[in-house]
Amino acid sequence: MPSTKEIRGRIKSVKNTRQITKAMELVAASKMKKAQQNASSGQAYAALLAEVLANVSGRIDGIEHSFFEEREVKTRGILVVSTDRGLCGALNSNLFREILKIQGDAKYVTIGRKAVQFVSRNKLDLLAEFSVPDEVPYLQVKQIVEFMIEKYEAGEIDTIEILYPRFVNTLIQEASFGKLLPISNLDDMINSLRGKDAEPYRENIDDRKIKFEPDPATILSSLLPLFVNREAHQALLNARASEHSARMVAMKSAKDNATTLLDGLTLQFNKARQAAITQEILEIAAATSSNG
Amino acid sequence: MSLQLEIVTPHGKVYDETVESVVMPTTSGEVGIMTGHIPLLTEIQPGDIAVTKEGGVDHLAVSKGFAQCIGDKVSILAENAISEDDIDVNEVEAAMLRAQSALKNAKEMSEEEINMLETTVQYASIQQLLKKKK
Repeated sequence: MPSTKEIRGRIKSVKNTRQITKAMELVAASKMKKAQQNASSGQAYAALLAEVLANVSGRIDGIEHSFFEEREVKTRGILVVSTDRGLCGALNSNLFREILKIQGDAKYVTIGRKAVQFVSRNKLDLLAEFSVPDEVPYLQVKQIVEFMIEKYEAGEIDTIEILYPRFVNTLIQEASFGKLLPISNLDDMINSLRGKDAEPYRENIDDRKIKFEPDPATILSSLLPLFVNREAHQALLNARASEHSARMVAMKSAKDNATTLLDGLTLQFNKARQAAITQEILEIAAATSSNG
Repeated sequence: MSLQLEIVTPHGKVYDETVESVVMPTTSGEVGIMTGHIPLLTEIQPGDIAVTKEGGVDHLAVSKGFAQCIGDKVSILAENAISEDDIDVNEVEAAMLRAQSALKNAKEMSEEEINMLETTVQYASIQQLLKKKK
């Protein structure tokens, strides 16, 4: 049996750990609240934008734009959204498992330190790495997306996809792919953005030809980049909500584990102390009886 | 007969109501929409949206964005939009001054940042105008 001194040492270290994890839980909880709010307020906009585009893409005959053009996919372009720091459960490893499943050629652009580490460790083709602060400024996301669009137009990559931990609720985050380019079937995207409570999206009944003011080319040239940028931004906000939720849950269970451990150790400590006292009394009693 | 109007910004849904008609500022002039309008997709520029509905007219300030009219549904996607009653004159003025003073260092900024600040200034002055009209 370990001595009381050893146990006391362990109790101290476990208490320290619990304090730290508790603090981290609180920090993550407040960040989570904000991130979840950000993600949900942007959702309506992203959904409507996708809806507008779905309406448009169904009605343009004879208008060509490189964003709609489906070419043979030789190299996929994947934007991986990970976290900068660890201690957030299986969030990043779930993403990386998806990457390992990918077959065929793919080039990667990463956000967050964890993804860079993974991509370079596995000797995958890394185009660029970015780091985005916690508030996810729109302009910064735009730069990243524009970089990828450039590669897309140059033919270096044939798709732009985004791999991120999609926020389902505080306890569940799913690693999922979102396809940004080429713009094809938008229904799934719209439905996932709308959430499961809303009525499912359906194609509008009005089938008259759409009129563009001033003209289709002008509208599409500003609407399409806006769409890609905004959808990417929304995915990033969503990923941030996932990150902080996962971290809070991980820290909460770490704290709970520390508490359980501490209870066990305290019990052990008390037993050891009691045993030492009993031992001492026995010794004194034995000494007195042998003298008398 | 009525129209469904929704105005959505990246910060959330601003307006979602059944209305009679809506007049909005587009890059090619003001456009009024009533029921039965042909499908339309247009670019919005900063300005004032007038919504006529039962019991009066609502005014909203918008910055740039897009508007789509399909069926009897008008969807407006704007960077910013605020209803007249929610405009806080002091805050608008502060935002405008902030943006203007930031614009003085325009040389060090990227084109996009400048664009964004200019939009902020425009949007602020529209809010002021709208408030003064009343």
